[in-house]
Parts: sequence; structure tokens; C-alpha cells
Amino acid sequence: MEGERTENKTYRPRAAGVKARKKKAKKGGEKDEDLTPRQRNPKAFAIQSIRKTEKTVRRTLDLKVKKQHIPFVDRTPVEPPPIIVAIVGPPKVGKTTLLKCLVKNYTRQKLSNVNGPITVVAGKQRRITFLECSNDINCMIDIGKIADLVLLMVDASFGFEMEQFEFLNICQVHGFPRIMGVLTHLDTFQENKRMRKTKKMLKNRFWTEIYQGAKLFYLSGMVYEEYQRTEIHNLCRFISVMKFRPLQWRMNHPYILADRMEDITNGESIRQNGKCDRKVCLYGYIRGTHLKNKQTIHIPGCGDFDINDIQLIPDPCPTPDKIKKRSLNEKERMVYAPMAGVGGIVYDKDAVYIDIGGRHSYNLTEDSRPSNELVGNLMETSNPIDEKMSSSKMTLFTGTEPITASKADDLMLAEDDDEDDDDEEDSNEDDDEVENEEEEDEAPPLKKNKLGKCTDESEEFAFADSDDDLEKEVVKKSLKQSRKIEHDHDSDDDSEDGSNFDQSEGESDQDIQSNEAEVDDVKDDDEGGGMGLQWKNDMVEKAAASFKARQKGKIDYRKIVYGTDIKEEEYKEEKEDELGGLFKVLKQKNIDNKNDRYSINKTDCSKFFPENPQDWSLDEVIASIKDCFITGQWSKDKDAKARLDLDDELYGDFEDLETGEKFTAEGEEEEEQEEEQEDGDNDSGDNNDDKDSTKPDNEKKKTKAEMTANERRQIRKERQKEAFDEQYDLKDESAFYDEWKADLEKQAKLNRAEFDSMPDELRIQYEGHRPGMYVRVEINDMPCEFVTNFDPIYPVILGGLQNVEGNVGFVQARFKKHRWYKKILKTRNPVIISLGWRRFQTMPLYSVQDHNFRQRLLKYTPEHLHCHAAFYGPITPQGTGLLAVESVAGREPGFRIAATGVVLELDKSLQIVKKLKLTGVPCKIYKKTAFIKGMFSSALEVAKFEGASLRTVSGLRGQIKKALRTPEGAFRATFEDKILKSDIIFVRTWCPVEVPEFYNPVTSLLLPPNQRKSWVGMRTLAQLRRDKGVRLQQNPDSLYKPVVRKNKIFKPLVIPRGLKAQLPFKAVPSELLKKKESGMKRIAVIKDKREKKIDNMMSMMQSLYSHKLQQKKLTLKQAAEKRKKQIKKDDKKREQRQKELKKEIFKHIGRNEKKKF
Amino acid sequence: MSTNTLHYEGCNFFRQRLVLATLSGRSVKIKKIRSKDDDPGLKDFEASFIRLLDTLTNGSKIVVSETGTSLLYQPGILVGGSFEHDCNPQRSIGYFLEAIISLAPFTKKPITAKLRGVTNDKIDPSVDLIRLTTLPIVKKFLGTDEGVEIKINRRGAAPDGGGEVLFTCPCRQKLRPVQFIDPGKIKRIRGIAWAARVSPAVTNRMVDATRSILNKFLTDIYIYTDHVKGSQSGKSPGFGLTLVAETTNGAFLGAEQSSSAKGSGDPPTIPEDLGKETAKNLLEEIYRGGCVDTTNQSVAALFMVLGQQDVSKIQIGQLTPYSIHFLRHIKEYFQLMFKIDPVQVAEEEEDLQIGGEKLLLTCVGIGYSNVSKAIL
Repeated sequence: MEGERTENKTYRPRAAGVKARKKKAKKGGEKDEDLTPRQRNPKAFAIQSIRKTEKTVRRTLDLKVKKQHIPFVDRTPVEPPPIIVAIVGPPKVGKTTLLKCLVKNYTRQKLSNVNGPITVVAGKQRRITFLECSNDINCMIDIGKIADLVLLMVDASFGFEMEQFEFLNICQVHGFPRIMGVLTHLDTFQENKRMRKTKKMLKNRFWTEIYQGAKLFYLSGMVYEEYQRTEIHNLCRFISVMKFRPLQWRMNHPYILADRMEDITNGESIRQNGKCDRKVCLYGYIRGTHLKNKQTIHIPGCGDFDINDIQLIPDPCPTPDKIKKRSLNEKERMVYAPMAGVGGIVYDKDAVYIDIGGRHSYNLTEDSRPSNELVGNLMETSNPIDEKMSSSKMTLFTGTEPITASKADDLMLAEDDDEDDDDEEDSNEDDDEVENEEEEDEAPPLKKNKLGKCTDESEEFAFADSDDDLEKEVVKKSLKQSRKIEHDHDSDDDSEDGSNFDQSEGESDQDIQSNEAEVDDVKDDDEGGGMGLQWKNDMVEKAAASFKARQKGKIDYRKIVYGTDIKEEEYKEEKEDELGGLFKVLKQKNIDNKNDRYSINKTDCSKFFPENPQDWSLDEVIASIKDCFITGQWSKDKDAKARLDLDDELYGDFEDLETGEKFTAEGEEEEEQEEEQEDGDNDSGDNNDDKDSTKPDNEKKKTKAEMTANERRQIRKERQKEAFDEQYDLKDESAFYDEWKADLEKQAKLNRAEFDSMPDELRIQYEGHRPGMYVRVEINDMPCEFVTNFDPIYPVILGGLQNVEGNVGFVQARFKKHRWYKKILKTRNPVIISLGWRRFQTMPLYSVQDHNFRQRLLKYTPEHLHCHAAFYGPITPQGTGLLAVESVAGREPGFRIAATGVVLELDKSLQIVKKLKLTGVPCKIYKKTAFIKGMFSSALEVAKFEGASLRTVSGLRGQIKKALRTPEGAFRATFEDKILKSDIIFVRTWCPVEVPEFYNPVTSLLLPPNQRKSWVGMRTLAQLRRDKGVRLQQNPDSLYKPVVRKNKIFKPLVIPRGLKAQLPFKAVPSELLKKKESGMKRIAVIKDKREKKIDNMMSMMQSLYSHKLQQKKLTLKQAAEKRKKQIKKDDKKREQRQKELKKEIFKHIGRNEKKKF
Repeated sequence: MSTNTLHYEGCNFFRQRLVLATLSGRSVKIKKIRSKDDDPGLKDFEASFIRLLDTLTNGSKIVVSETGTSLLYQPGILVGGSFEHDCNPQRSIGYFLEAIISLAPFTKKPITAKLRGVTNDKIDPSVDLIRLTTLPIVKKFLGTDEGVEIKINRRGAAPDGGGEVLFTCPCRQKLRPVQFIDPGKIKRIRGIAWAARVSPAVTNRMVDATRSILNKFLTDIYIYTDHVKGSQSGKSPGFGLTLVAETTNGAFLGAEQSSSAKGSGDPPTIPEDLGKETAKNLLEEIYRGGCVDTTNQSVAALFMVLGQQDVSKIQIGQLTPYSIHFLRHIKEYFQLMFKIDPVQVAEEEEDLQIGGEKLLLTCVGIGYSNVSKAIL
């Protein structure tokens, strides 16, 4: 065997020759491995059934489209605020215990009492605010509006309770937050099987309520009054990785969940009047969107307020710095819960509070938080800042005498005099700056002027160069905060400043009060011979630059636009002139500054008339705009010629299809001598068979000369097809969607990038306060009850309102009674509506829309249908959800949410109508015309209704024509047929109904804690009656009575004689054929005496006879009765007898039988 | 409700204040309106403007003091729809139309306004100018070309008017943010030379004079002549010229002049002078440059503010005092500040001669949404 094998030659493929070549060609030509299965075996993939293919294609497309959502700009902040986790459930379910366990898990710290929101650092990028929701419906509504994640706690031993369902419905209306169920009290089950069954049942119920597969947690039991550690840990992990969808309302409205409240009212005013309005500071993270200073906010349960001031405060619970590590260390596990009294330092604008008792106090020595340093410095200072200001000294030039603030002022005054003859613009600017500086009380204003003294040019230069003060201040601060952040924003503006910063950093060890930036500016310029010379060297250039800058009018636009307006100031000053304190001097100012178009009473005109237009006949002036036109010079990247050159280098020649022009690269120019002119397809094809033309670069191998006209045409067609395909065919189905998404993404990127490099202080002014910032909000005119009755258990939410939302108007909403609510709602009964941030009581009118868009009033909401509700309330954007409850007081059994809905339209007036039927009766009837009275009371009223359609009870339709003179209010009307005198005529009219202007915000936060759950507001009429014991006086007319119908007596049928005569015998009614026993009635019989006597006699006899008959009948009857009685008696006797007989017989039979046995 | 009233003095920027009040829903009180003039109080055209606002809105409360020197305005809800308004001939229709345009996207129903009065005068932007320069900006913010239109049915020159203009504009729930920072180069100049109740030759004289100046810069100039007669020519004689420079990126810079009104006391206008003057005005406008011309700076700024909460950017020339005041008012009404930066010229573009310094207006929209429009 072995030997045999060795003898065999191994297969050696041909390395050369025909076969090898063939094989090689085959291998090179089609690579079987590279082909897809579809290409290799196309038959297997051929369409077998059209139906099936259609189905599959449709399905895939359906799936694809289903995935697509309307894209929107991603506005989530880079550093998000802590997410709000609300713990909701009925009482005694274990909410507080869970909260304590969660906090303990995150911070290793035990909470003694839970009060207000508790913020913890959960991870490197996540912070969480925990919030316990009490069982008050006010509280539930408020929390449903702000919670990002809800832990819905369920007592497994009891099952779901009404509160949970109510809360779920509240959430559904106000944008659905994430919801996780938590089952507790599982240790109360004795049998395992029952527990499993209950779990399953509860899970299914929970899933139907939220969605299939919603997370439900089981907390199996308690260990030392706490939930099991591992379970809590798992729950925390779920919370930490939770992702959130942005919700519409919260995306558009800023809000703050206040975690601290402070009353900063002047103590004296409180002493004088204990009930005076308070000035209050509220602290919290901004969520939602940007919050602007002076914005209007609504505090649910309290009212609307204007923000007096917002200050940015260092984050009390910051996420740790981005360091590469897996978990947080002990120091970084922070908890911030000022109301609960844990955590360390509490920052304020003017005070710092240190919790001495807690083990976990804030780490003061940490370098990363410069604010500590700042606070430390502030604490150390002994002199107030203004004193410091005045005594502060500064050295401008080395070796000179230090300058104090007072000296600086003198200097400045002198300077101002010098500069008076400067051109207008500059002096204005100067004033401006000086003013600002004075306002800021910080930067001694001398340095600029000092610098300005050097030379004229350099003065200009300084102005051109200098940033405004605010920006500098900001730079200073940022410098202090971290040395890493440097002048990024500054250096791109003017590199000079930036470089100065670089140098200054090293030497500037001065502290807060020094205004380094500008001082250093000067220092660097003048310090040392070399530096000074350098500065002098390029003086000419600088002068030129400054001239250019002045020409351009390089100004600080922010200050020009938003700085103080000098003109207005002037006006105010001049106004003050008085003569002897009695008479005011009226000045004709308008004459003085006639060119001043912008004083308060000038013409309001948007058109701009250049004050000193340039002379456009001068060549220089003309040249200054020559590049604005397409004929001018273009910038490099857009210049056609430059780009052409670039293109030529890359691609060589091409042909412009539209004009037929050809462009060639330089190398091929000589070929192009015999250039052909092509206008259309046909002539080029006919004439230019042999001439060369341009080709796409991939076909370069074939020389131009070799191409026939056909080929050229082919190429052109291909190109056109490509272009067409690109526009229409080859586009993916989702191209539109993708493009849309890409656009929005681009916008999001721009939004992020635009202000990113700016320092916060400046950025806030442009953007407002970003979400994620911790701020202190000052509010004036807060009712004193808010402070005196403050209860941290109730969340205080500062909901920002957009512009129009502070106003009230009429809101029209689509509305539906909740199917679980027992009653239907009555029009004009007050209900409490939760809409936007607000909870308020109002009186809605319910209506339905008819087909002609008429809003018809309903007395009650339909049982299972949508209707419209119109009420007087706050203007809230369309599409906002709302919910209604009838009362928030107490806890009545049953489901409390009465209805839900969505806002459709807002207006300042509404047209809701109810039907009103006016009735009248005919007073005279002609053929189809009738006069109707009793409907109107005057001819004027009739005139108003001319042409209105009428209707009789029997259904005849008609029209009002014209008023009659008498009786007053009667009119002529026509009908489609003759009406009856007994008919009642109706006209159907629509009577507008006023929506009651009643808007009453629920002020639950202002009530003392023990009354919080009993806010009543306006009561319904029924409630009032019940409370006051007033019986309803019913109009007896509107009571329902049994309907009594009279028997209709028809008149006999009368057939006219003529007609009767003509009738065939068969058709004559039978009763007509009956002989009438007439005569008696018709012929009066007069009897004589005898006859009368006979008659009398006869009648007497007749009556006698009849009497006799009667007597006979009576006796017969009596006899019959007697006989009946007798028979009855006999029967009874007989029965008795028979009974006894039977008894005797049975006795005997019994005896006999006994004997037998 | 706690929305506090804004207080102002004087009649200047009257429209700005009322328009912004309407949009922001804040009430405004203006005092000392010409209180020291010989003819104190509101003028007829201002009263006419108030009446216009009243037709545009529902539920507004306007209280004018007995002397007419103070005014309280509590805005209602913008209604729009189709209406007619007789504009007071003291000011041209442009005065009213500018305000309507800034309100039009936020009405309940699309606006179809028929305005009667003076179509062209010396003070306000004429209807032509608005049609040629303002509407393209409005279209950019609305994101549509459809339905935004101004039709000049009849022309009416300054003192007596008699013109008629039809303005239509659709309404929107939200405006879109706009980034328009590169105006491109001017590719053509268009214009309208109009004349009413004067010799038709006037138009040609104006056109020739204008061309004599503008031909140095660009050859693609076409000026339509619009000589109206009969019932279409209004009540007073007059003529004028509106020029618009269109750039490659769709920016429109406009300038215009019209003859002095009959009986105004000004010396009579010579068509050649007027043509040259207008051309120079246009050059001045081009020198200032930007994507939006001086007249429309405020409209553009307003629509930037009223956009969604996204960054909008627009390049403009130097701010006019009117726009500066407008920005201030915006800050007062909407608490929003604009970032105004001079445009940084790239190094390779430094030698380009493109006129005066350009500014970049940047702002984040306030997320304004149209509360008037109904949803189904």
C-alpha cells in the first residue's frame, strides 16, 4: 500500500501552455466565488408568483416605513439636568422605604426623613432626583407633568388601587413618562402558588395599561425594615440605564423643580405687616428648554409670576469630572436634599450654609471647584467691596506711582475735555463705555484713556481693539475658574488681545479686584525697551489698520444695540428743567436736533435714508463695490476660473452640454482647433461623423478619432440618463426622509456649536439659561401663605410660559368623558382642569359640531362620544392635553378623573349656539298663504327673520314673508300646502350662548398643610342647594304628566248627492243603503187630547209592565241564590257523611289487616 | 394674569411696538404721543393703523385717551382672513403692509387683504419694493413660494392715493430657522419705472438715466416700464423708480425713489435726476450689502426670533437705526438678544472689494408657535 502511494505522481497543474492560459483566462474572467448566490443561480431567485412577491415587497416596505418617525431637531442638553424619578403609589405601600433604600444604595447614606426632592449622583453622567408623590390628586397631577421616570408601587397583597389607574391616566394626558412597576408586600403570601398567580395577574394588568413587556419589579421581602439589597441594586441599575424620549410639552417649556425655598423679604416689612407679599428665592435645576430672565412662570397651585432675577449658581451636586474609571468613589457619591436636611454645603448668592452635623460634608479643599476658593476669599475679606475699590491701587507702568481710584476719576475728566473735538462716533462710544464702567462699579475706567494719551493713532487703535467690559470680565472669571480655558473666544477676534493674555497669565498673580486684562495690555506694550520698540515699529501699519477699521466703523455692536441709549438719556435730563419749581420750561427740542429722526416723536419709518451718501461718480468709490457683482473678482474657492484650473488638473477637458462650449486642458488644446459646434442632438450626429469630441475620462483609452458619431451620441445619452436618474430614479425611497433627517441633524449641530465656545455669562444672554444649570430664581410679590404654609412634601414647580401663554382667552378642546367615570358632566358645572402647567377651575360649555360647522350646545357630555368643550382659561398651544376632575377635595370613592381632552383652538370669543323654537298660530289661512300671529312681538323682529324657514307640526314647510300691520308681530307666510287652523307653526332659531368668564386657579400650595386636600373653589348649583338645604323649585309646567288623549270622533262620511247618484251600486257604502228610520225626527207629530191620554195610558202600562218584569226577575234571582245556598249546604252535609263513612270503613280495613298479620 | 404692561413714550416706532405686542401677547402703553406738538396726539394714519390692527385681531382692547396722546393696547388673537382696509393717504400702503407682513404668518386664517391708499410715496417703502425685496425673505421663512403674493391692482401716487393692492399670505404653525450667510454676487438688476397721470416718456427718461450709471457695473439690467392710465392710475400724478439687485444666492437688495407729491411744496422732480438718484441709492445699498437690505432688516430679525428654538443666522449690512431700535424692542418683548458679529473676512478674500463691513446676526428662536390657527 505504502509503496503504491509513493509511486503515484501528485497532480501538477500546467504552469504554461494553452491549457494553463485557458484556465487562467477563465479564472480571471468570471470569479465564481465573487458572485452572489443570486447571480450564480438566477433561476432560483426568479419570481415564482406575482402575488407572493407583491406581498413580500409590500411587507418589507411597510416595515421600513413603520420605523420612520417624523424627525425633529435634537435639543437635548450636553450636560443634562438630573432625571426626575417619582415614586408613586397608594398609602402604606412602601414608597418612603423604597426611596430610602434607593438613596442608600446610591450614596451609602441613610436618610432619616424624606422631605422634598433628593438629588443624588448616580453615575459618571447621570444624576437622579427622587421625589415621593403623596396621595393628593393635586400632587399626582403636578408630578405627572415633570417626572421622567415613575416607579409605580403596587401592594401585591391588595392589587391595583384606584390611585394607580388615576395616575396612569394623568400621565397619559400630559405626555407619557417612562413607567416601571414595583410590586411590594410579596412576603405576605403564605403559599407560593398563590403568589405566582397574583404576580402573573398583576403583570398582565400592568401590561395592558402601559405596553406589553413593561418592566415590573418584584421586591420580595423586608430585611431589617429595608428591601433586599440585591433587588434594590438591580432596580438602580435599571434606572441608571433608562433612556428617555423627549416629550412635546417639556421640549418647549422650561421648568424647575424647586429643591429649596428661601424667603428674603425685608424683615422690617414682615414685622410691620405679617401678611405682606414676600420676596422668595427658589432653587433648582433648569429642565426642558432654555429659561430666560424676566420670563413669566407659573407655579402650579400658586399662580403666575414674573421672574425678578435669575442667578447661575455652582452646581451643588455635580457629576464628577470626566476621568477614565469605572465607578464613582465615595467622595463623588453626593446627595443634595436641602429640604430633607442632608448633604453638605449649600450655596447661595450671599451666603454659604454648612451642614456641620453630617458625615458627608462637601469637600472644601477640592481643586476642581473654584467657587470654593471664591467663597473662601469672600469670607476672608474684611472690607466691603466699594471701600476696597476706592482704596485699590494700580501700577500702570513700571516705576510709576500707583494710581488710586480717585486719581483715576480726575484723570478721566481731564481726558474727556481733550477729546471733545473728536469725531462724533468715537465720543459716543466713549461715553457709552464710561457709563457702563461706572455701572459695573468694578473696572476703574482710566486705562483706556491713559492709553489713548500716547498718540492719536494708538488711541484709535485701542478703541478698535478693545472688547467690551463685560466680555473682559467674563474672561477674567473664566481665567480664575480654570487656567485651562483660555481666551478662545477672544483670540479669534483679535489675536493681539489673546497674545497678551498668554503673557499676562504668568505674571498676573493679582487677585479678583485687579482688572488684569486691560492693564496687561498696556503693560506689555510699554514694558521693556524691546517690547516698546516693537510696538513702535509697526506703528504705521497699525495706524493704517486703525484707519481701515474706522472706515469700516468697527464698533462693538452689542453695546450699540443693547447698551444704554444716550439720546434717550439726554431727553430725560432735559425734561427736568423747571422754572421756580412751578412752571416747566417747554423747549422746542425738535428744532434743535432736526436731523435726529429717532427721538421719541419722530416719523416711524423703516426705510433708511443714508445721511451722507458717498459720491458715486468717484472711481475709488465705484471700485469699492466692484466685487459685489458677478463680473467682479470671486473668492478663491468660488472663482470659476480658479476652480476650472483646478478641475482641469484633475479631470482634463469637458463639454458644457447646455451651451455646447468645450473646455479643454492645456495639453489637448491643439487638438481642439477643429472644434465642432453642436446645438442639438441631430445635427451633431449628421455632420460630425469623423470629428473628435470630448469623452468621459474612463473611456480615455479609445482615442477620439476612433469614435463614431453614434458612439458619441451614445455617450451623451448615457450621461443624460445618469443625470436624470440622479434626479428621479436612482433615489432611494427614503431619500426624502434621509435628507430631512440630515437637515435637522445639521441644525442640531449648529445649535450646539454656535454658542459652545462662549463663557456662560455671555451665553446666557443670548440663549437664556440652559437646561442642566442650577439656578436661583428670585420672585417678587409671592403671597405670604406660600411661605408660611410651605410644605416640602408638595412639589414646587416653576413652569416657564411662552409668550402668549400668560393670557387668558377662550379655549376650545376636544373632550371626552372618561369611560370609568360614573357620571356625565353637565354644561356650566365647574370642573377643575389641568392644562399645561396649570390647574384651574372653570365652567365649560359642551357642544358638538354640526355638519355645517355650527357649534351646538349640549346640556350634558355624551356618554361615550367625543364632544367639544369651550371654557375660559389660559391660552395654551394647540395639541396640549388636558384632563378634568370634578373636585380635588377629599377622597370620594371611585375614579376621579372625569374627562380627558386636547386643545384645538384658542380665541377671544366663541360662537356656541343653542336651539330656540319660536311658535305661532295661524290667524287667517288662504290657500297656501297664511297670516301667523303670536310668534314675534313687533314688526321689527319679523323683519329680522324675513325669509326664515317655518315648519308646522304636521311637517309642512314654509317661509316668513313680511310683517303685517295688525296685529303687532303678525306676519304673512307661505307654505307648501294649505295649513290647518289648528296647526302650530315653528321657526327654528339659534341663540348664541355665552361662555362664563370664570377662571380660578387652584391654590392648593397656599393652603395650610392640613387643609391641602380640601380645596373646594366654586361649588355646583346642586352642591350649593344640598349644602344650604334649599329645595329645588320646579316649574310645574315643565313636569311630565300622563298624556291624556281624547277619543277622536270622526265626522260621518258624507257623499254628495250628485256623486252618490253616479256611484255604481257596488261602490255605495252599505250604511248609506240602510233605510233611515226617519220621519219621526223630521215630521213633527201633534197629538190631540185623546191620543195623548192613550199614549199616557200606554206608557203607564208599559212602565207597570216593565216594573212587573223587573220584580219577577228579582224574585227569580233570589230564588236561584237560595237554591244555590241550599245545594251547597246539602253538599257539605253529604261530604261530612261520606267522610265519616270512609273513616269507619278504613278503621275496619285496618283492624282486619292487623288481625291478618 | 401677571403679564405686565410695557410702557413707552412717543409715537416713534409705533408699529414696532404694537406689532410686537400683538405677537408676544403683552399689553403696551404708549404715552406722550406728540404731547408737545401744536397738533398733539395720534395722527390719522396712526388711527388708521390701529383700526387695521383691530380688524386683524379678535378681542383686542385699544384705549386712546381723550387728547390722543396716550394709548393702551391689549392684544387679542390674530384672526386674519380676508378683509379690506382703507389706508390713510398720509402714509403709503407700505407703512401698513410692513406690519401686516410681520403678522401674516401667525393668523388664524390665511390673509387676503385688499388695501386702498397711496401705493408709492417718498417716505415709506413702496408696494413695489416690498413685493420685490420683502416677499423673498418671507418666503424663505415660510418655506414656501405658494400664496405669498402682492398684486397691484391700481397705482396711487402720494397726496391723494387711490391705489389698490391685494396681499395674500398663508399662515403657519411654525416658522423654519434660516441660515443665510452668503449673499453671493449680484447677477442681475431689475426694476420698475412707473408713472401715473404723467407723460409716458417719463418712464423711459428714468430708465435711461439709471442705466447710464448702472451699466458700469453690470450689463444684465432690465427695468420694466409701467405707465398706468385711466382707472388704474389713481388720483394724483406721480412717477417713480424701484430697483432691485438680485444675487446668485437669492438675496434681493432694493432701492427706490419717487417724485415729490403734488402740492407738497417740494420742487418738482426731474425724471433723469430721480433715475440717477435711485441708481446711487441702489449702489449705496449694495455697498452696505448683506443678504437682506436695509428696509427688511427688521422683518428678517423678527422672523428669526419667532422661529423654533434653533439657531438662525443672517448676514446683513450695517444696522440701520430703525433696526437697532427694533432689536431693542425685541429684547424688551421677548427677552431675546441677538449676537451681532462683524463678518470675519477670510484671508484670501481680503482683497475683494465688496463694500462696507458686513454683520452676522445670530439668534436662537424663542420657539414661537401660532396659537391662533386651529387644529382639527
